Amino acid sequence: MDLAYYPGCSLYQSAKLYNHQTKLVFGILDLKLKELEDWSCCGATSAGKINDFMAVALPARNLGIAESTGLAELVIPCSACYSRTLVAQKQLEDFPLLKNEINIELSNKVKGVIKVSSALEVLEKTISGSKFKSMSLRKLEGYNPACYYGCMNTRFPYDVLIADNVENPQSMETVLKAIGVTPLDWNYKTLCCGASSIIYNPESALDLMAKIMRDAVSRGADCFVVNCPMCQMNMESQQDQFCEKHGIKERLPVYFITELLGLALGLSKEDLQPGDNLFIDGMDWTQLCGDSV
Amino acid sequence: MDNKAFEFNPQAADVFTREVTARSGQDITACYQCKRCASGCPVAEDTDMVTPNRLIRMVVLGDIENALTNKLTWKCLFCHTCGTRCPNNIKTGRIADTLKKMALDAGIDPQQPEYKNFHRAFFNYSLRHGRINEIGMMGEFQLRNMWDHLKKRNYIAILSEIVGKSTLAWEMFKQNRLQLSYHSSKGRDEISRLYKKSAGRKWI
Repeated sequence: MDLAYYPGCSLYQSAKLYNHQTKLVFGILDLKLKELEDWSCCGATSAGKINDFMAVALPARNLGIAESTGLAELVIPCSACYSRTLVAQKQLEDFPLLKNEINIELSNKVKGVIKVSSALEVLEKTISGSKFKSMSLRKLEGYNPACYYGCMNTRFPYDVLIADNVENPQSMETVLKAIGVTPLDWNYKTLCCGASSIIYNPESALDLMAKIMRDAVSRGADCFVVNCPMCQMNMESQQDQFCEKHGIKERLPVYFITELLGLALGLSKEDLQPGDNLFIDGMDWTQLCGDSV
Repeated sequence: MDNKAFEFNPQAADVFTREVTARSGQDITACYQCKRCASGCPVAEDTDMVTPNRLIRMVVLGDIENALTNKLTWKCLFCHTCGTRCPNNIKTGRIADTLKKMALDAGIDPQQPEYKNFHRAFFNYSLRHGRINEIGMMGEFQLRNMWDHLKKRNYIAILSEIVGKSTLAWEMFKQNRLQLSYHSSKGRDEISRLYKKSAGRKWI
């Protein structure tokens, strides 16, 4: 099946690994990702802090390009891009005058027909299909992950309809159970990690991340599984800082959902994290954790 | 802790409530102070007892100064826990966001000095290049911070800005998160036409 694909800026930059893994895993599942031609930044949360009109207009341009491909579904792995695009699509539908105003300037007009999905939603749908059930899976032993969703997967600044539960989302759990991994039940799967406020308000952000970490550790988690590049970056690159500040000895690797799924589908660690262009030494969690776990 | 009663300003209440309603798109008069938002707010621990419901109360009573300068307005992370739990579907995160914008319009300095510079740098960079390159965006952010320090003749802050951001860049480099390649989008013309259209608009 062909799907339109919007990677977003962070998947070309600090979360390059997520882009790589998503393409690999989708390829194995026979989902062809057609990257949008000349896509542009969705504005993330910053556009809305300065200019409400541009917060809709920036994703609208990408929606126009996606619709011009004629494909039925647009896949977005990054939670922030997904949230912005989904919200913009609903706002354009609800305010036809705004849509006209924006469409005048766009070379690819928005009609509002394409379905916007997160990569996680597509994975969840695919693993329930008969094709996946016939695939042979490698057994993953010894993982006890805490699935961390963050804000942007289920809570939106505007009323949009999503399939997952808002307070206790289950899509990552469903995917992991399908590959024989049993995720933990825990408290802070949708607590905010502070996102970009780590730059301008680090105290609040570090406190929140420590809360998330402490709960996961106390329930016996040995890794986090995430699907948001911002959560992944915060939880991993700041881990030493917030753990030292709050006296937490343990350290946990933070995997993208595509990493565990890729391993189960038979990919090797080298396939999933090739060369030195990509980051995290997540696989070696025993070394990261030290003796304390 | 400064937890005084809110000021009721009958003249301001009506105008202020209407402006916040229009700019945030939220029906704030529907709030009946059930405090479900308050119990879920992740930053409410350190906002001097200002919870989302109390923020709404400030607006409705016309206590403009308090609404624009309290800690919750500035610490709100836009996580939307309050909005998803509100029985009247008031997204208070968008109200806090609106109040931040109104405070900046009124020339009030943000409580986190780097807040404005960060979002400005991100937004302007995305308009200029069509896509974000983290090195370039953070560079613009750093320059904006340094310009602010220069205006105040605070040379020590300029130095610590350079040291701080270089440390961050080095950390990112060590983790292989720093990408040296440049990417951009040709859609910049379309985007700048849209941006011209947005001039002077205070809501979508």
